[in-house]
Amino acid sequence: MAGIRSIIALSSILACGFLLVILSCALDNNYLPLTVVATFILAPAPNWICGRCSNPDDFMETSGSAIVDFGRWFTGFLVVMGIALPLVFNYSGIISTQATVMSIIGGLLIYGTVVSFTMFFSQTEEEF
Amino acid sequence: MGHRLFRFSPPAWLNSPNTRTAGVYVSGGLFSIGFFVLLNAAIFSHAKYRGECKVTFVDWIPAICSSLGMLVINSIEKSRLSADSYSYSGTGVAWKARVVLFLGFALMAGGLAGSVTILVLKYIRPGVPFPPLGFGISDVVSNVLVMLSSVVLWVSQNLENEYSYNLTL
Repeated sequence: MAGIRSIIALSSILACGFLLVILSCALDNNYLPLTVVATFILAPAPNWICGRCSNPDDFMETSGSAIVDFGRWFTGFLVVMGIALPLVFNYSGIISTQATVMSIIGGLLIYGTVVSFTMFFSQTEEEF
Repeated sequence: MGHRLFRFSPPAWLNSPNTRTAGVYVSGGLFSIGFFVLLNAAIFSHAKYRGECKVTFVDWIPAICSSLGMLVINSIEKSRLSADSYSYSGTGVAWKARVVLFLGFALMAGGLAGSVTILVLKYIRPGVPFPPLGFGISDVVSNVLVMLSSVVLWVSQNLENEYSYNLTL
């Protein structure tokens, strides 16, 4: 039951995040803040892919951890990119300040949902 | 630990794998901030600023040099740097690794020096006012951030070596 409740909470947070981002686009009729959604959804992907590529058995081999490190590095890059991109657009006057604030908050909500969903599922996988 | 170099021992949290992971993430974030500081200047100069002194490809060259240097430095297998003390490594592996490492550091320092050069020659010496002067300053800031990111990545990967060393013994 707790699992279903947290899934409902996470999906409503995800919907709030999408609401904020789409509102920030639609209020000014300027759909550039949608790139924030793409960035934050792509952000955990390098971590997953590189985590699959590495072989967890030979932890003595440093080449195995190099690709994991690259995945983490790229994830950190993408997370900061999701925050920096609306600020860059705002500084050049391409999108308005309210759209910037709303898209950053919405993107962080989406990213938090994705990350907590991943942690939730990996914990349930370890139990079985 | 009998073979320590420094008299102060590092704190215990510094050797944990969590610190190492956080260091890699922070390094990626710092590189991202550096890249977007430069991209911000470029977008601003082409979208909003109406004037003579714009960001051209010349302003991007130091950042490209710094990023290449970061790539070279962090591609090196760190355990090969001290490989001469082990008998199983081939002849001159450590020497080759040090040459490549020197090239990487030269690229990175050249990037930083080049950004300062562009700031002085293109922006300060003609005496341009502040909005375009910020382009040169953001160039220097971006190169410093790329360098900082490389330092954080290097230190956290060395922490990993210490950790696995502790694990095996």
